[in-house]
Amino acid sequence: MEDLLAARLQMAFTLGFHIILACFGVGLPVLLLCAEAMFLRTGKAVYKTLAKRWAKAFAVLFAIGAVSGTVLSFEMGLLWPRFMGTFGSVISLPFTLEGFAFFFEAIFVGIYLYGWEKLSPWAHWCSGIPIALSGFASAWFVVTANAWMNAPRGFEWIDGAVVNPDPIDAMFNPATWAQTTHMILAAYIVSGFCVASFYAWRILRHDDSRYNRIAMSLGLILGAVCMPPQLAVGDWAAKVVAQTQPLKFAAMESHFETETGASLTIGGIPDMENQTVNYAIKIPKLLSFLANGDLNSEVKGLKDFPPDEIPPVPVVHIAFQLMVGTGMLLMVHAVWSALRYWRFRDHFFECRLFLWTTTGMGMLSVIALETGWTVTEVGRQPWIVYGFMRTKDAVTDASGVPLIFATTMVIYAMLAIGCVSMLRLLASHPVDPVTGQEASKPQ
Amino acid sequence: MMVTAILCVLLAALVAYAVFGGADFGAGVWEFNTAFRSSERERKQLLHAIGPIWETNHVWLIFILVLLFGAFPSAFASMNEALFVPLLLALTGIVFRGAAYAFSAQRPAGTAIRWRVAFALASVLAPLFLGVCVGAMASGEMQFDADGHFVGNHLSGWINSLSIFCGFFTVGLCAYTSATYMMRESVLSGDADLVDLWRTRALAVGTLMGVLALGGLLLAASRYPLLWQGLAGRGWPIILISMVSGVGSLRAIHRQRTNVAVIGVTVTCATVVIGWAVAQYPMLLPPYWTVTNSASPDSVLALILGVTGIGAMFLVPALVLLLKIFKS
Repeated sequence: MEDLLAARLQMAFTLGFHIILACFGVGLPVLLLCAEAMFLRTGKAVYKTLAKRWAKAFAVLFAIGAVSGTVLSFEMGLLWPRFMGTFGSVISLPFTLEGFAFFFEAIFVGIYLYGWEKLSPWAHWCSGIPIALSGFASAWFVVTANAWMNAPRGFEWIDGAVVNPDPIDAMFNPATWAQTTHMILAAYIVSGFCVASFYAWRILRHDDSRYNRIAMSLGLILGAVCMPPQLAVGDWAAKVVAQTQPLKFAAMESHFETETGASLTIGGIPDMENQTVNYAIKIPKLLSFLANGDLNSEVKGLKDFPPDEIPPVPVVHIAFQLMVGTGMLLMVHAVWSALRYWRFRDHFFECRLFLWTTTGMGMLSVIALETGWTVTEVGRQPWIVYGFMRTKDAVTDASGVPLIFATTMVIYAMLAIGCVSMLRLLASHPVDPVTGQEASKPQ
Repeated sequence: MMVTAILCVLLAALVAYAVFGGADFGAGVWEFNTAFRSSERERKQLLHAIGPIWETNHVWLIFILVLLFGAFPSAFASMNEALFVPLLLALTGIVFRGAAYAFSAQRPAGTAIRWRVAFALASVLAPLFLGVCVGAMASGEMQFDADGHFVGNHLSGWINSLSIFCGFFTVGLCAYTSATYMMRESVLSGDADLVDLWRTRALAVGTLMGVLALGGLLLAASRYPLLWQGLAGRGWPIILISMVSGVGSLRAIHRQRTNVAVIGVTVTCATVVIGWAVAQYPMLLPPYWTVTNSASPDSVLALILGVTGIGAMFLVPALVLLLKIFKS
């Protein structure tokens, strides 16, 4: 394996791992706050049990997320030294801000986790608010840096060197708003649906208790409420890509010929030799509309771009189709949940098909997340900074990256196993179905 | 001017990481030193002491990285190329430490031995190789071409007597800080046995560190003239403070004056870091990168400083709150 490929896989793998934990870091605090607020309002023990147990799960996920985040902050320099060396001054601002947001978050995580007995109930609830806010802020800052890699600006480029860097202009680049909004909503959706799916499974396989029902409802509400805006934001994000990175847009759609009134390709497998897409459904004129809001506008095709700048089209295309497809299924499920709540409120949890579908939604939301991330990253190749620096020029010249990648896979497998078994251990502790309190410890 | 201000912030973060993070690493170093024969009570005390604040220690390091690449991007890039291997090894330590702590803190009673071993090994690995990085930089023996790119061997370019010395010195410093802090924790919780235990440990490792420090100075004087010039020419007042506070802290530990001991150890640890920084100034990554030839434009530095100031306005009250709730 060549070093560049290994470095890219290493980055993709560690980012793909971290992004899931980061989503929980953004979304779970909101659920925690909801559960604890319900406890403060109703005084019912079941909500407190829920908040306390979610807090423990959050602690594990946050700690592992902090570790995998530290890995990423090292990897930026270790794997891509020339990228950081050239553009460090331009993109330092969001990372500095993110550092502070994370610091702030870590402090309040400490207070929240260890402060149940030391603070009054209201003060304790309040100590959770900064966690949710700084999780949100961290995600926003970090994604602006990625948006900048897609739509770089805020500097002058003279003889391959950065002159007059303007970090604020770089942070508010044209891709920032759409990408950050899309990502943060995705974080809430992933947290919501994963929580809902876990408790739906417990209702099906363990006990249909009030505790499990409440937990599932809270997760489902968070996920479902964020779905409709996510569709609109997704459309907005695609339009931004069409403007700032027409090549990535063409790759997402496997759009080979430049044409007016271009048709939308749904599904299919791109055939790069014959420059067609097999087994796809085509909807006339829709692509032009989605790209520019005009049925007869022109959409540039892959053939009209320099061949050495075209990303791996099949990967980008299939990932994009998967993201849209799973996103649509999540939306359908959100609508279904709303309809069930509206018409069958009293036996909302009694439809086994509904519970099974909910169980599957957690995995689907993660697939949507990962494939969406793949579209952004692979779609930008061969550039690390779109139009300015190629990934191959940024990579370290140290050898042995494949070995490091293999080691990383082993270490991360251990992390994942440890994390999952820890969460299982936390969940295995029984909850009293009547009082909603944690059953006394079986010593 | 801007560069000096940024360097001060960077140094402050480094000192904070060396002191707080060092004490944190040291807790794991002691698990290692005692070959896992520590009692349940000791371990509980260790976990309890680092519990609420361990997460924040991660962040110092991230903050240092971010400051480095924002303010000195080209030096940061070369640093990463030259120190590729030791940085990766330190990172491995940080990963296993964080993971092991996360997996064992939730169930301190029945912590599996494998996670304890991982925690202890990782707690040694991380400071060892971070220290190696510092030593490799201070030695000025890494090779760079005319553009400042690293041209040495990635596998061995960072190995020399100073880097190895600094690695072990850092681990020892962590153990010393940690033992002194733990002694204070034991006094506060009124456990006379543990006070005794940590006092003995602090005295033993503290004496060793004193001897090592003198050895380090001799090493610099005999083999690293550039560093020695900085240490003797500009850094001597700081070294003097370090020596006085080091001896003072040992005396205070011996007499069980815990607060004085904690202050003494903190000052010693801080002055070691500051002494290195002052001796090396204005070199950032000798012999090529200085703080001026690698610095970002003033506008960027000003922005980073401004953001740091605003961030501090949020952080300082939050940190005070944290310490007030848990350490009072």
